[in-house]
Order: sequence, then C-alpha cells, then structure tokens
Amino acid sequence: MNRLIPDWEIRITNFGLGYILLCLVVAIAATNTGNNGLYLVLAAMLAAMVVSGVLSRRNVRGVLCELETVGEVVATRPAWLRLRFENRLRTGTAQSLFFLHESLPGPLWIDPLRPGEKRELVVEGRFPRRGVFRDADAGLLSRFPIGLFRKYRKASLSREIVVYPLPEVTPIPPVPPEDSRGGRPHPRQRGGGPDIRTLREFTPGDDLRDLHWKQSARMRRWIVREREAERDRVVFLVIDNALPSPVDSAALARFESAVARCAGQALLLLSRGAEVGFLARGVKVSAQSGRAQRLRILEALARLEPVSPADAPAFPSLRKNDLCWMVS
Amino acid sequence: MTAAKEMSAGLRAAYLRVLVPAAALAPLPLIWTGGTGVRSIAIYEVTLVWLAWRGRIGRPLRISNAAMNVAGVLYLGWLVFETATLRVGLLRSVSHLLLFTALAKLASLKRPSEARMALLVLFLLSLAAASSSTHVSSLLYFAAMAWVAFRTLARLAVLADFEEAPPRRVLDAVPTGGLTAAAIVAGAAFSAPLFFLLPRLHGPFAVSPFRADDAFSRAIASDRVDLDAFSAAKRSDRVILRMSASPALPAEEELRLREAVFTEYDDGVWVRDPRVGPRRGERSAFSLGASAAERPHSVVSVDLNVYGQGFLFLPYGTYAVRVEKGRASEMPDGVLQVGTGRGSIRYEADVSRAPARGSGRGVIPVSDVPDEVRQYAYRLTGDLSNPTEIYRRIEENFRKDFIYTLEPPKPRGDPIVHFLTRSKAGHCEYFASAAAMMLASRGVRARLVTGSYGGEAGMLGSSIVVRAQNLHAWVEADLDGTGFAVLDPTPPAGIPPALSTYSLLSRLSALGREIEFLYDRRILGYDSGDQVGVVEAVREGLESTAGRLVGFGRFARDSFSASTAGILLATALLAWLLVRGVFAPHRPLAPATRAYVALRRLLSRRKGPVPASVPPQEIARLFAEEVPAAREDAAAVVAVYAASTFGGVRPTPETLSDVTRRLRRLRRLV
Repeated sequence: MNRLIPDWEIRITNFGLGYILLCLVVAIAATNTGNNGLYLVLAAMLAAMVVSGVLSRRNVRGVLCELETVGEVVATRPAWLRLRFENRLRTGTAQSLFFLHESLPGPLWIDPLRPGEKRELVVEGRFPRRGVFRDADAGLLSRFPIGLFRKYRKASLSREIVVYPLPEVTPIPPVPPEDSRGGRPHPRQRGGGPDIRTLREFTPGDDLRDLHWKQSARMRRWIVREREAERDRVVFLVIDNALPSPVDSAALARFESAVARCAGQALLLLSRGAEVGFLARGVKVSAQSGRAQRLRILEALARLEPVSPADAPAFPSLRKNDLCWMVS
Repeated sequence: MTAAKEMSAGLRAAYLRVLVPAAALAPLPLIWTGGTGVRSIAIYEVTLVWLAWRGRIGRPLRISNAAMNVAGVLYLGWLVFETATLRVGLLRSVSHLLLFTALAKLASLKRPSEARMALLVLFLLSLAAASSSTHVSSLLYFAAMAWVAFRTLARLAVLADFEEAPPRRVLDAVPTGGLTAAAIVAGAAFSAPLFFLLPRLHGPFAVSPFRADDAFSRAIASDRVDLDAFSAAKRSDRVILRMSASPALPAEEELRLREAVFTEYDDGVWVRDPRVGPRRGERSAFSLGASAAERPHSVVSVDLNVYGQGFLFLPYGTYAVRVEKGRASEMPDGVLQVGTGRGSIRYEADVSRAPARGSGRGVIPVSDVPDEVRQYAYRLTGDLSNPTEIYRRIEENFRKDFIYTLEPPKPRGDPIVHFLTRSKAGHCEYFASAAAMMLASRGVRARLVTGSYGGEAGMLGSSIVVRAQNLHAWVEADLDGTGFAVLDPTPPAGIPPALSTYSLLSRLSALGREIEFLYDRRILGYDSGDQVGVVEAVREGLESTAGRLVGFGRFARDSFSASTAGILLATALLAWLLVRGVFAPHRPLAPATRAYVALRRLLSRRKGPVPASVPPQEIARLFAEEVPAAREDAAAVVAVYAASTFGGVRPTPETLSDVTRRLRRLRRLV
C-alpha cells in the first residue's frame, strides 16, 4: 500500500522549467505554421515529460537507503558512515543516484544498482555540529532520466546518531583533596588505597606485599590485607543551558563554546582519574570515573539543548558539599 | 550575487564529451532540406571532431569572452553580407547562424549554464532540421536524435551535480542501453496519440509529395499531357495511390483506373477539352457524395496522393464516389477533380458489374488528326469498314511492326507521325495516341485516356500500391454504338503487369514504400480534417459497440429463460468446484498423522480454536497444561507423529496400537 506521506519528494529543476517554456514555444510555432514536423517534435517533448516522470519516480522509489555510523562521532572530526543501498526493483537498474548528507563534502555518486542488488559503502564524513540525529537528514537524489525533475528519497537510520561535541582544551584549576571528598559516603570498594578494609585468605592474583605475616603464622594459612580503594576526587561540571533568547546566535555560540569546554575539562579530569559528573537544567550525570563515564558525559553534552529561562527546569540537587564547577 | 565558479578543464571535457554526439547529429538533415550546404556542414563537423579530440586529450578549448565577442561581431558582419548580398535564403542564414553559435558555445564552455545554452542552440538546430524535413527518412533522424538526445540529457543531468570532473565510469554507466530503448519506445507510444490529438488550426505546412518534378506533374492529372513527360514519369517509382476492394474485384477490372480523357492533339501535346460536357438534362455519370440505392458489386477504397490538377483515379464501372474530406467536382468530360491544396485524399467508389464503358462525350475531332496519320490509317485499314475490324488491324500492325520502349528516338516533326512512319518505337501513350487518331480518322468516335494499370500487392493487408510505373494510356472508342469501350493497343510488353508479386527483398522494399506512403499521408499531410475523421471513427466505433451491447442484451433477454440461467449457473459452479479441486481424489492420511490430527481436535475442543501455525511440540505442551494427567500420552502421540512425518520412521503395528490406546485414554480425560 502506498504511504500517504511519502518519504521522497519531487521538485522541478530550472532545466525542467526551461523545457516547459520550450514546449510552449514549439507549440506556438507548430500551431501557427501547421508544420507537422514541429508537431512531431512537440509530441515527443510532451511524451518525454511523461516518460521522464514515470522513470524518475520508479528509479528513486525502488531504492532503499540506510545509514549508520561506525564508532564514535565527534563534531567536525572525520567519522565513518556506513551506507547500505538496496535496489528492490525486479527490473530496471537504478541509476544516476547521488547520496546527500551534510557530513559529506558534496553529493556522493552511487554507481548504478542492478535489480535486487545490495551494496554497502563506508565513507568518511564530518558532522559539523554536535547533537542527536534521529531522523536522517540524508537521502538519495536523482535527476534521472533527463534532468527535468529532482527526486529525493530520505535515507533511514538504523539507529540514532549521537555526535559528541569537539572537546576544547582549557586549563582546569587543581582540586584540593579536602574539597574532593565532599562529605560523600565512602565507596568501600576494594582498591589500592592506604586503608585496610579487611583481612582474608590469599587468592591467586593478590599482591604479595599485602601478605599479613603475623596472622598467616597464627592461622597457618596465607592471609592478606584487603585495602580500600583510593578515594577519587569528585567534581561536577555545570552548564546553564537556559538561554534568554534561543534565537540569539551570539548566545548560542557561547553556549556551544561552553559545551565544548565542558567536554574538554571532563575528559581531562577523567584522564587524571577523577570522578566527574555533569549537571545542567534537567540533566544530571552522576559522578564516576572511567571510560564509561567519559561516554556518559559526552552523550549528555551531545543531547544538551538550550531552554528558555521561563520553561527551564531547576538544576538537579546535589549532595551537600559536592564540588561544582560552572563552565561558561 | 556572485558569478558561478568556472568549470575545471576536466569538467569542461566531460561536458564536451556529452554534447558533441548530439551536436554532430543535429544539423545533418539540413544538407538535404537545403538548410545549409555540404561544405558548411563539413566545416562544422570537422571543428566538432577537433573540439572533441581536444577534450579527449584533457585540453578542452576555452576561448575567452573577449575573443568570443570579437568573433560574434565579425560573424554579424558576415550575416549581414550573406543576407543582403548573397541572398541565400532565410533558412540557410538562420542555419549558418545556429551552426556558428553552437561551435562558439562548445568552444567556450566555462560554466554549466553555458553548457545548457549550447544545448538550447543544438535543440534549435534539430528543430530547424526537423521542421524542414519532409522525406520519410526523417523518421530515422527522429529515432536517432531521440536516442542521442536521451543519452545526452541523462548525462547532463548527472553532470549537473558534479563540481569537478567525474570519473569516466560515471558517464559510461548512464544511461543503460536497455533503459534508453525502453524510454524511447515508451516515448514513441505516448507521442503517437499526442501527435494526432494536438489541435490543428492550419492546414499542413508541407503536403505530400511537394517534391513532384515537372515531368511528373505534366504527365498525370493535368489538362495537358506531354508525350516526353509521360515516359519520364513512368520511370519514377513514386507512389500514386493505394487501394483495396471489398470484395476483391477481378484484377483486370479493378486495376485499370481511369483518370483523364484527352481529345485535342497538337504536335505531341494532348489537351483536355472541358467544354465538351453532358447534354442538357443528361444524368451525371457519378452520384457524388452518397451511395446509390443499388447494392454495389464492390467498394474500392483509395488513398490518393494528389498531383497536378487533382483528378481522381477510378475503376471502370464506378457509379458513386464518396470523398472522405471535402468534395469532388465532376468535369463536363466525365473526369472527377478535387482541390489541389491537399496532400492526399481518401475516397470510396462503388463499382457495378456493368461492362467497362467510359463516361463523357468528348471525342477526337478528325480535324486534329495530322494528315500523315490519316493517310497512314487509310493505307492500313482502307479496305475495312467495320470499326472493330479496323481496330484489330491497327492492333495487329502495332504488334508486328512496332516496339515498346520508354526511350523513343527523338522525333523530328510531329511525334506521332514520326512514331508511325519512322521510328515505330514508343511507349503506351504513343501507341494509344496513334490508335485513337487513326480510329478517329476512320470515323470512329475515339479518344485518349490516361490512368493506371496494375499495381503491387502491398505488405500491409490486401491493399494494392499503384506507382508511377503503372501509369498507362489507352483508347476509348465507340465501336458498336454501345458506348466507349476500352481498347489497349499497346503491345503486351508495354502493359504493366496486372498484379506484381515480389521477392522478400522487394517486399521489404514495398514495406518501406508503404511506410513512406503512410508518412506522407498520415503524418506529413495530417490536418484538422483527419482529426475530425479520427473523432468520427471513434464515435462510430463507440456507436457500433453500444449497438452490439444493446443487441446482446436483447438477445440475452429473449434467449435466457429461468432454466437456461439455472443451467449456466450450475455449469459455472461445477467449473469452480473443479478448479478448486473439490473432486480431486482424496489421499488418506498416514495413521500417525491421523492420531496427531485427532489430538489437535481434542485440544481445540478443550481450549478453543488452535491455529494451524502451532507446532507439534507446542500442542503437546498445551495439552499438558490443560490436562496434566494427559501429559505423557499427548507427548507420546506427538513423538510418534514427528518421527513418522519428519523423521521418516514408519511406526510398527505395536506402536500404532499403543497410540490408539493412548488416544482413547485422552478422549476419556478430555
């Protein structure tokens, strides 16, 4: 069944408009002279329009196009895009196809697809800005067969594309150890810290330096000290995403700049082993460390949208004495 | 606004590669239509080849704007000189201008918009070629141009999205040959009805065949017939008409078509005498415009290319004529004439069984017969008084002493006198003229008649194509007071064959000629009258269909009683059942399958309908859910079924009896 709102569009080209104008000129000439040679040309031109419309529609409509990214995508940095094409027509080669996407430097030529042919391409692209793309702003364009119309068919996304902001490297102030503690409950995790958590039997892999000789002698078994994890420094990076005017380009640029700086600071802190969290209006990423936290913060930053002050939710609450750095 | 970026050399070369084939083909017909000379086209084509070569080696020509302006101004001066002094004609001047502009544009491509401009110039060139072409071979040009133009436009459409030169494979890949062919066939299929439906406000610009040479137009359908021109016309293979008869007439009757009657002779030229008309109160020979009340023996349909004065070719025995468009006028000497402003006409003639007799009253006056001819006639037939015997003598004399040739010796003095007394060689008009004048000199009412005899069996249907080779002349004479009988004094070698049959090659050639005829008749000369004819034909077709439907309804009402309808209904039902295979032999199920089906039935009795898609193991599980006590039995039945159907293990009689026992137990539990 045909969809009520097709995912392809048709536009007449400038050449098409000129063609229609020429048809009118030939029609006037034919009618005024009665020259059947001109009538033949006119009939052929009109027929060409009909045939062109049918072929063009069929050409683009029969091709399925799917897009997904390979690996992380950072704004303005090269990223890999995997494109899948399938010509679902039983007859008729799909040809004169271009793939369009803002991440590509220009239209990407797709070699003709034979009936039933599936093809996968991996191309390098650059997403100009951070954000989340649920709807593929990409598709197939064709002027086939003779350029009277431009037919466009949107590509589908196999999953949403999250474009992380490009981290901007800025110096960060040192975090005093006493501030980093912040009164948070001790994580009580095993680790390599100075404090002893408990004594237990030795298991392969334990550090021999942790052997508790006296207790081992008493118990006549190997006993080791289990240490608590070293306490990480905890920092929350905060961005105020309430903008007085969402259409103010200068404010938006400042906001984007803050996002980029925030990403840069978060990555720097995480690389130093800090526990980093992120805070914005209606958004909170709990403070943690490690690679997974890096992705969580970058994704939160990618999804961060400016809100108007009137509708802006409050900042999520923090524990008492949590260290917050406002990035602006 | 900033100007568009200039194209790279690679992209320019690609545009050249795409445009040059169309540019090379577009103006070719202008050579034949007089639009330009061979020399101009040769210069143009050579320049194109050079441009293409430059593009191919990666160094496409790029003439600067300043140089183009200078060239433009110089050409303007040449154009003024050509128009004012050389006076080569408007079409030629325009064609030259277009050729120059096309070359200039192709040599100075800088932006895609200029490529489009070059395309426009090429389009105008092809328009000039198409609009000035009238020969049937223009169809070949149209086909070739459609192919090239489609490929050119498709490739230009691709290039429009490239900012740099595309790889070579891109232009090679588009469009595929199959798709081009399909598009052209579909385009032709759409074009045909459009061509015929587009409104015509004027008569056709060019009518067929407007290339008629002087000899041709002087030889037929004219008030004057020149003996020399007649032989020249007979050497032509031009199609005069196409005809078909329903029912078919015997060849000798059907294929002698009378056209014009000549009664005045002067020094080798025959002239019609239209003053000799019917007597007051005399009935017309033809009831024009409508069928006579009597039933015709045959109806002959003729498609005639109108030449000269537009006289109609009619079989002997014609008593009613219907002209498709407009009307024909009957001349006083019994000749039918239509207006000459039209390329071709179609008409129908009702033909009776009556013996062939010429209409009209005019005869050759004895005073017009040269003395030498009169003396020759007396020498030959002076001892005879019976007109029939006189004619036989003349005919025999021709057969014995004269020779038929289309290239008679150049006469000195009167051609007929020279023919009779010196050369004794000539074509049909010499023989007919001499015989008619000799008869006239002997007091027999006679006259010369021109027309055609014979034809070719057409490739399409049962039509007969009459060509200039079939033009013929004969005599009409009143030998016995019963009217003007047809006398053909030409020796058999000079009478065209009644009906030619041809080899395959000739037939193909005939097909080509029929296409030419159709092109001339149905395309080149197509006009608003034809459109009315088409509408009329459609209307009549619809009317006929509606009449048949009404007739069928009446027949159905009269014929179908309730019992007939019942029988038909029963037959249809039986056919449906047969198609559905209701009566196909029933194959019994295997015992394990039967047990499994019984199990499914038990489950559905307990649980409700079980879809066919539920697999066997699921049936066992569902059964166990519903009746836990029956878990083991259900599983056993399913296992036997699965082993039998899917594993190919045929159950032993013990197994089957066990299954039967279990089923019985299941029925009790359910």
